[in-house]
Amino acid sequence: MPFQPLSPRFSFALIVSAALSVAAFQPVKALSPAVTPSVAPTAAPLLAQGDALTPYVESYAELVYRTYSSAKADAVTMQRAITAFLINPNAETHQAAKASWTEARQSYLQTEAFRFYEGPIDFVDPETGEEGPEGRINAWPMNEAFIDYVQGKADSGVINDPSFEISVANILENDQVSDEADVTTGWHAIEFLLWGQDFNADGPGERSYEDFVSGKGNNNRRREYLNLVTNQLIDDLTFLETEWQPGSENYRAEFVAQDPQETLGKILTSLATLSAFEMASERMAVSLDSGDQEDEHSCFSDTTYQDFVFNAAGIRNVYFADYGDYQGTGLDELLASIAPELNQQMIAALDQTQTTIGQISTPFDQVLASATGSEERAVVESAIVALEDQAELIVEVGSALGVEAEILAE
Amino acid sequence: MKRQNLRRWVLALLSAFVVVVFPLSGTAKDAVQNALDSQIEAQILANRTELSAGEQATSFKFTRTAFAQPIPNLDRQRRRVFSFGDRLFNTQWVQAPGSVPSLDGLGPLFNRSSCAGCHIRVGRGRPPIAGETRMRSKLIRLSIPGENAQGGPLPHPVYGAQLQEQGILGVSAEGKTQITWTEEIDQFADGTTFSLRKPSYEFTELGYGPLGDDVLFSPRVSPAVFGLGLLENIPEADILQQVDPDDLDGDGISGRPNYVWSEESQTKMLGRLGWKANEPTLKQQIAGAFSGDIGLTTPMFANSSCSEQQADCQAAATLGDPLDVSGEFLDKVTTYLSLLAVPARRNVEGALEQRGERLFYQGQCASCHLPQQVTGNGSVHEEYNNKTIHAYTDLLLHDMGPALSDMRPDFEASGQEWRTPPLWGIGLVGTTNNHTFYLHDGRARNLLEAILWHDGEAHESKEFVRQLNADDRDALIAFVASL
Repeated sequence: MPFQPLSPRFSFALIVSAALSVAAFQPVKALSPAVTPSVAPTAAPLLAQGDALTPYVESYAELVYRTYSSAKADAVTMQRAITAFLINPNAETHQAAKASWTEARQSYLQTEAFRFYEGPIDFVDPETGEEGPEGRINAWPMNEAFIDYVQGKADSGVINDPSFEISVANILENDQVSDEADVTTGWHAIEFLLWGQDFNADGPGERSYEDFVSGKGNNNRRREYLNLVTNQLIDDLTFLETEWQPGSENYRAEFVAQDPQETLGKILTSLATLSAFEMASERMAVSLDSGDQEDEHSCFSDTTYQDFVFNAAGIRNVYFADYGDYQGTGLDELLASIAPELNQQMIAALDQTQTTIGQISTPFDQVLASATGSEERAVVESAIVALEDQAELIVEVGSALGVEAEILAE
Repeated sequence: MKRQNLRRWVLALLSAFVVVVFPLSGTAKDAVQNALDSQIEAQILANRTELSAGEQATSFKFTRTAFAQPIPNLDRQRRRVFSFGDRLFNTQWVQAPGSVPSLDGLGPLFNRSSCAGCHIRVGRGRPPIAGETRMRSKLIRLSIPGENAQGGPLPHPVYGAQLQEQGILGVSAEGKTQITWTEEIDQFADGTTFSLRKPSYEFTELGYGPLGDDVLFSPRVSPAVFGLGLLENIPEADILQQVDPDDLDGDGISGRPNYVWSEESQTKMLGRLGWKANEPTLKQQIAGAFSGDIGLTTPMFANSSCSEQQADCQAAATLGDPLDVSGEFLDKVTTYLSLLAVPARRNVEGALEQRGERLFYQGQCASCHLPQQVTGNGSVHEEYNNKTIHAYTDLLLHDMGPALSDMRPDFEASGQEWRTPPLWGIGLVGTTNNHTFYLHDGRARNLLEAILWHDGEAHESKEFVRQLNADDRDALIAFVASL
């Protein structure tokens, strides 16, 4: 189970990944002619002393911990609202539960900047095949008909299948097994349970609170399902918080003790991948290209716009080592000392992303509904360009620091 | 002529010794053995690399999504197409008319509603397991004796080219498949017993009348679909160089090409993909799967898969757009699949794996599971041109014996003939797909069973494995699983 200390497993995984990263070494070519290669010699003496990088790695670890802490605390607040809703289901408590979901998402979205390097969120144990909780927490797109009724199929989903015993074990056992879209858990499962399918051109899904009034139809099963997947989300977020808390024998302890150059490579790879692959390609370009109004990340609640905003904020947080009232030693300070010009470019790119995302019209499904060549679509295209530019600069930052950073896709 | 033919080489050497020093002395035997060893050793070293698909197309991610990784360093434009193709691959197609015309058109008859439904995480399907009432990632091809106008299987006059086990609302599904497994006990030379399970099939709840006595059927699980852009780019001449239909070299292994109909060129082409090498190109294989498996029309297969005698199906097929999947979408899925990287070989330096590697060559496995090929220069992806790859397939048909026969011809392939499947990535199926069922119909429950099912041209290799002791068997499996 994922709630035990991970130390032995992680040490092994890290040795393996270190070995592999040597074997898999792919030189990353400079993609932006704007960056002069002359920064590298300046960087070399500083980076020769690995200790010089330690404050940045430690600031990062603290930032990660604080962000996961917020995400967990906000999810607990959501859980209270959901519990209140289940105790007394009515339009008001339903609305409060939905509002708390939307609110709780904001801190979680910022933690997505900590993915893509097989940390606690998405590790894989090469011995057991056990994986981090990312797939349980945030998988999408999902086949909602696997969970509950959908339009035209009143009896679909495990909630309406009396032969399926609603239990945590059963829900987890059936997650993404016979189809990758058969997601049973996480934010989007909760979202679907709270909002329902979105057939509303002008707003989110319109599931009635009556679906959760006890005793009617399969409502008790639905109530239990919502309760259990909410619990599971809290458990998973607690695990992440624990792995990053200071002063413990946990992933964080090993993370800060590793070769800081390699660690910095992971940090930058994570940012570049979230920016260019997850955000620009998966969540924006695909939606634009499919012509599907509901082909968006948070389609039931129509909150995809805030996904963009807070994912982008997560990237900024890491670069500046700022989160809430925490102000660590940011990569901007490091870059300012060795490649000030590149630092300025990086900051400009982060600003440009923030600006273009800020111009996207809401709700996002209205952009998708707009005609090819519309102004609304052009704005999203410019956000895609900004995210791609930003990712390529992040790779450049890696080169300037003499570390391996790349844009992954998965 | 085969480039890598140990057996013939050794036989020649052996006969030379027989002529020169007869009777064969111990020293001569040792000399033969040493010559064999040094040749094997050279081959092993030439192929011992973790870069299964070369430096630019090999992935080092070994998680649940190990098969779903793109080649490294995609540029912006290809990354966008890759992401969109991935989206289409995972799309749950819905019945037309749906709220999104670009993503509707499911059926009217179909097996699954998405590509990923069968190829979960781009990986391998399996037969139903206990408690499952339908085939989720395995299907039944159908035909009757004879050939169609292109020389391919003659579709069943009512049921068409495959049994589609689902129908949209108002259209009867074609039927269900019941599989009964029979265990057959056998043993290794050391006395250890093993059991193989043989399937028998019954088709129930048939929606359109009896299948008839002369029906031919071929059960097939969905294969993993990475690395296909590289297999497409192996020069035809190099594949044909391995062909030996009359076994002129006397090694018991023939190897025949399949020539199949190409919709794009409107002529026959060398078949490369599919269990029977029955598809000439990746694009055609995808369009065929859209048509047969999901019931989606494409520019390549613009007619619905309903037969003339399925009136409800015909009527329902007219709903929605004339083409369910546009040419643009088909091209994007094709690009997506061709950009999937091949997972790197693991534990290259492992002692157990290296011991198994030697056994793999000594057992002649490498005669068909060719450890090395060099791609041509025909790919639009530079990463795939002029690259040394290690797919462990010759892409040719081989007679695998009567027990594996589906008794259904598929272009040039007889019932007993199957295309050598690539072995790269095969050891990751447990990780990616939560099972270890192998062979065309998933009858083998693990890699050792898959080997033990080999017969026909592979009879000698199978016997070789039956003679191995338990440690050597473990080593051989460890090697195959490391690919």
